[in-house]
Amino acid sequence: MQLTYKTLALSAGLLLSLSACEKDFLERDPPGIVLDEQVWNDATLITSLLANNYDRLPAHSQIDAGWEQFAAYDEATWSGGGDGSNNLVDYGYGRWFNWDYGLIRDINLALENIDKYSTTLPEAQKKQFKAEFRFLRAYMYFEMVKREGGVPLVTQQLIYDFSGDPSPLQKPRDTEAAVYDFVASELDAIKNDIGNDGSSSTSAFSNTRANRYAAMALKCRAMLYAGSIAKYNAESGLNIQTPGGEVGIPASRAREYYQKALDAAKEVMAGPYQLYTTNPNLGENFYDAITRKTSNPEVILAKDFLVTRDRRHGFTYDNIPRGIREDNLSSSIITPALNLVEAYEYLDGTSGEIKTRTADNSDFIYYDNLSAPFANKDARLYGTVIYPGTTFAGREVQIQAGVMAWNGSSYNTIEGGLASTYGPPTYPNGDNKLLTGSSGPQRSEVEVSNTGFYLRKYIDSTPKASTRGVLSDTWWVRFRLGEVLLNASEAALELGNQAEALTYVNRVRQRAGFPANSLTSLTRLRLENERRVELAFEDHRVWDLRRWRRAHVLWNGNSANPNAVLYALYPYRIVRPGDSRDGKYVFLKLQAPRFRAPRNFRLGNYYSAIDQGVLNNNPKLVRNPFQ
Amino acid sequence: MKALLYSLVAGTVLLVSCAKDNVDPPSSTLSGRIVYQDQVVGVRSNASQDLGNRSTMLELWQPGYQFFEKFPIFVNQDGTFTATLFDGDYQLVRTRGNGPWVDNTDTIEVQVRGNTVLDVPVQPYFTIQNASIQRSGNTVTATCRVKQEVSARNIDQVTLFISRTQFVDNVNNTAQNSKSGAALANLNQDLSFSVSVPASNKGVVYARLGVRAAGAGEFMFTPVQKLE
Repeated sequence: MQLTYKTLALSAGLLLSLSACEKDFLERDPPGIVLDEQVWNDATLITSLLANNYDRLPAHSQIDAGWEQFAAYDEATWSGGGDGSNNLVDYGYGRWFNWDYGLIRDINLALENIDKYSTTLPEAQKKQFKAEFRFLRAYMYFEMVKREGGVPLVTQQLIYDFSGDPSPLQKPRDTEAAVYDFVASELDAIKNDIGNDGSSSTSAFSNTRANRYAAMALKCRAMLYAGSIAKYNAESGLNIQTPGGEVGIPASRAREYYQKALDAAKEVMAGPYQLYTTNPNLGENFYDAITRKTSNPEVILAKDFLVTRDRRHGFTYDNIPRGIREDNLSSSIITPALNLVEAYEYLDGTSGEIKTRTADNSDFIYYDNLSAPFANKDARLYGTVIYPGTTFAGREVQIQAGVMAWNGSSYNTIEGGLASTYGPPTYPNGDNKLLTGSSGPQRSEVEVSNTGFYLRKYIDSTPKASTRGVLSDTWWVRFRLGEVLLNASEAALELGNQAEALTYVNRVRQRAGFPANSLTSLTRLRLENERRVELAFEDHRVWDLRRWRRAHVLWNGNSANPNAVLYALYPYRIVRPGDSRDGKYVFLKLQAPRFRAPRNFRLGNYYSAIDQGVLNNNPKLVRNPFQ
Repeated sequence: MKALLYSLVAGTVLLVSCAKDNVDPPSSTLSGRIVYQDQVVGVRSNASQDLGNRSTMLELWQPGYQFFEKFPIFVNQDGTFTATLFDGDYQLVRTRGNGPWVDNTDTIEVQVRGNTVLDVPVQPYFTIQNASIQRSGNTVTATCRVKQEVSARNIDQVTLFISRTQFVDNVNNTAQNSKSGAALANLNQDLSFSVSVPASNKGVVYARLGVRAAGAGEFMFTPVQKLE
């Protein structure tokens, strides 16, 4: 081959092109790493960060995390394997502790990086994202302050300079009041930027992302907590406080906080939300109000799940009634107690106590059918609890403890296994009818109710939702209008405006089947019961009793105190051939057979003890009282 | 052969060093009583508590080490306590709010050298005087008089507790009878209590009286009495 000019040029060109290739090769973007500039200029990536932070909000008892705690207070007992929380001699001092500054740091980092790197995002969108991150930060601080009192307010990334001295990173605790004030001022600052309320074409309405009404609902709840702590800490005579105010809010500030709570509640009520009243069957309607996801005008903010996207939880698998479970394991773990059932009043305004004995206590009251004692009760009972004689998702939940057979002078109580028959050969004189229902109750069996009740609220009625293969995707409601109305009612009552308070609480009661203006006078104790029945199993009860400083009174660890002990209701069929009472039903009240230790809430439980590891890391932190 | 020898030597050295690294366990004890006017104070037994709570009536601190943590000191229901420690200088603190006495967080310096005995003084809100508990058949009766020691808090309740074990307090009991409110308006008179023994409580019954101030978490108790 002759070395000509052409070949030279060709080979030189090849060489050059190769080297150019090499250069490009070294300057390629890494395929496995997302750079800061990319994240903070991409709305989709920021949205997924937000989703992650929503997911990391702390949970005490909610259907996807910590639902076991539903059975730790006075709403329900544990009917699963083991003792669960039936044998809590007392609540640990560190029980509610939460110190998730990892989430706070991630939010602070996001806020700073949006300012630093987001160059191509439109200004309005940056504003919206920042508002949403700040909402989450306020939510997180509220969750911490309600658990352990004042915490250090950190609003910027803390970055260590490797100088060997970490003291600039050690922040002392702010006062409890300061944290509540921070939550309120943050929410006020962002409410006009947060969007998600359908106000413009770019911001679709959402009840799974926070909008201005969710921000105000959070503010309303936080201010109500602050107000009641200020008022009742002093009024109860406990005066739990630290000298620096890290714990304890001065009583003089109660009015101001209640006023803020009422104003925030009014802002929510002025929004597009309505109480859910679509279903004419009031009981089913209340169940729908919590679980129905489409066209639900009541839910302000919820944590959503979706089977098709593999976001599921096992709440239904673990808590569906035994007789209608679709899997071969687990069911019926959280079983509502009679205490809660009796908190639901009758629609004529009488107390909700279930009558089982005649007035002189000489004999049982004989009912024609299993659901008769619950007739004309507050419809919310049906929406919350599955009681004897009712159905779930069209399937009968068979609840019958056994039979009472007349022996000529008294009744013999006979109980059998699940779905057993009272008949030969076991019972030679039996009548071949049902002995014990397929859903129990049973006194000592696991995974079947030992109280005679099952949970309906949050249980998924979709077919196969109670199997491990499919699981459930009911959402967890964080804020809904029902709670906001009750908050408004309480705040108005504390401000001395009873007439206004009555209008709010009566709206909630009317949805439950009570006549209009069913209450004509209001006390805080009535509202306490109203919150208990409306918001059962929605992670409110224990926080409410803590802020009212009522928990140590109701749950005093005394086995003679009916509030501290959980009760069950066992239905029996009467076998008394030839008598008019044959085939009727009687009900027996008893302490829940698997319930061991009365609830015992000690004064030290009002503020969670701060973990020793946290104290070791930061010598400026003050310990909580009793710790 | 040489290798074997070396490995043996190395093994011995390792063994020896292991033994050297071990520290003897603590052997000194600090024991004592919680007293008021030279009388021991009866409290709720919190030795049976969940250790994870670490909430005790007394706590020991030892400054000078990297981790500054309290040693929880559990108090028996008869008001005595014992802790096994290394010799050293400790600080004893009466935890805020965890006893039936006026909060007093003054530090008590304790030097532990061998077996040390220490009385911890407290100032109760109320004390029970002249307590007497009797049993006749299935009824336990008691009389006592309550004395207000400091005017810091009002009285909340006075209660007679009975139990089937020697651990008797407001959490561990089978029956109780308490007086509160108007029944305690005049403390210059004898209070009498009566409680019937539940059927589940066969044989021996243990009983004690307790008094609690409003807003204080704990009762102050009389000594446990065994009633045949």
